[in-house]
Amino acid sequence: MRVTGGTGTVVPVEGDPAASEEDEPGWPRYWPLLLLGAAVVPGGLLWVLHLGNRWMETPAMQAWRTVCLAVVVQALPFLLLGTLLSGAINAFVPARVFQRVLPRRPVYAVPVAGVAGVILPGCECASVPVANSLIKRGVTPAAAFTFLLSAPAINPVVLTATAVAFPGDPAMVLARLLASLGTASVMGWLWLWLGRPEWLRPVVRTSGHRTGRHRLREFRVGFQHDFLQAGGFLVVGAVAAATFNVTVPRSVLDTFSGTPWLSVGFLVVLAIVLAVCSEADAFVAASLSGFSPVARLAFMVVGPMVDLKLIALQAGTFGRAFAFRFSAATVVVAVLSSVLIGGVLL
Amino acid sequence: MRRALRMTLLLLVGAGLLRVALFTDLYLRYVKQGMRPLLIASGALLVLLAAAEAVSGARRREDDGHGDDEEQEHGHGHHASGTPRAAWLLLPPALSLLLWAPPALGAYTAARQPAQPVTRASDFDPLPATSPLPLTLSDFTRRVRQDDTQAIKGRVVRLTGFVTPGGRDGDWSLNRIIISCCAADARTVKVRVRSPHTPAADTWVTVTGTWRPGGTLGTASAPVALEARSVRKVAKPVNAYTDALLPAPSE
Repeated sequence: MRVTGGTGTVVPVEGDPAASEEDEPGWPRYWPLLLLGAAVVPGGLLWVLHLGNRWMETPAMQAWRTVCLAVVVQALPFLLLGTLLSGAINAFVPARVFQRVLPRRPVYAVPVAGVAGVILPGCECASVPVANSLIKRGVTPAAAFTFLLSAPAINPVVLTATAVAFPGDPAMVLARLLASLGTASVMGWLWLWLGRPEWLRPVVRTSGHRTGRHRLREFRVGFQHDFLQAGGFLVVGAVAAATFNVTVPRSVLDTFSGTPWLSVGFLVVLAIVLAVCSEADAFVAASLSGFSPVARLAFMVVGPMVDLKLIALQAGTFGRAFAFRFSAATVVVAVLSSVLIGGVLL
Repeated sequence: MRRALRMTLLLLVGAGLLRVALFTDLYLRYVKQGMRPLLIASGALLVLLAAAEAVSGARRREDDGHGDDEEQEHGHGHHASGTPRAAWLLLPPALSLLLWAPPALGAYTAARQPAQPVTRASDFDPLPATSPLPLTLSDFTRRVRQDDTQAIKGRVVRLTGFVTPGGRDGDWSLNRIIISCCAADARTVKVRVRSPHTPAADTWVTVTGTWRPGGTLGTASAPVALEARSVRKVAKPVNAYTDALLPAPSE
């Protein structure tokens, strides 16, 4: 396990003296092979790199790389904020705080957690690690998932952005608030009813601060681990979103905008595929002026709850079995809730 | 070993963010201007984390001669301190930010998107008397498609954007890409231009010309098109993902 290549970092050699003793006398036997390798490998590598470079510089690949990086760059600060918060919850907030704030019965804890989503001002990337840390601290998963869904959709930053994007249309803000809160709560109850713990990756229940360990160090190490993990999955999501973005031209999808039902379906698919951050999706929705208000509401309700980068993040945090089932159910509930509430209010 | 990997990843991601947001304007190829403070703060925090990781590693080694003590201690639980395998995936974007930042979206994206429908304006002020009149592509579209006073008729206007060639009758498109959040939600506003020769794709130009008649001006039947009098190359604006007016080119 001695990794020194690539990054150019000099890594201190430690441990494993046996391995290095075997290495030394071993190498002369293979020296012709090594020499051949030394001659061929760099040349081959350069050739592959050259071809790869030419391919990467084609307009399509450049657009793909730009979109990919854009999603990562946009999401990283929020991911960092989310993992910071979750690290802080793990290290500094005692478990009894949650027991005191949330009602004992999970059925009541769900809507309370939904409304509590108001306090996390960030986009959806931040809420995944926070929800995870809530579960680790003994909050019932149903309530944590409700929080996970509602926080990015109903916090003041997002609602303000929605009001700005739809000037003179306060019904849209209200509809978004209600439809998102409704979806989040229904999903929480649905989990209580149908959810199975085995879908979740077994949670390493941390009891928070362990005596005899440095709190600040605990915080830093946990936060760092969560960030690196979630960051990796963010990249997976960004790659998926960019691939859809570049390979499926918008003009193909726009043919669906004619009929009302198809247009709702289309904007829902767009929300999942575009992976727009919840703080800005209202502006995107406002710009989709060819679509019905209900379809645009569905776009804003689904977007913060399900998209490619979120599915990747959830798969990384809670496990794949959970992420796919949960996301699919959320889409259905969110569409129903936006059609219902949008139909009444808009 | 793991510690070194972790440190390197944090450092590279942090340095990449700092490079594009603090030391250069490259971040404007990907996100909006408002993200800058957040990006700088994130970059700085990640670099600090890498430093903390290095310091704590050095301290541990001094203490007991085992740099990876921490991993052994946690070997079974693999939670709090290990390096998750997914973390490797952060390496390509980090290196790309540091060494190989891809360009802003341009002709390729614009050519594959339908023109963005502009928002409806309720009433139109009379156009200022300046000639040529600088307009944004959205404003021009609105004047052509929505303004039933037909104020744009016969006026010489000046529009700026980048070129996508092709289309019917040797016309080309003048485009601006607008983003709401990041480059993933790019939308394009377009104006068709007819001029004696087509500039190369992705060139930024300022076009002076008049509305090219067709359909009924002030309704959706009017083509958003310009008969060019002059086409001049301009520098690509730093903050390109807007449909804002650029400062007038010096004559």
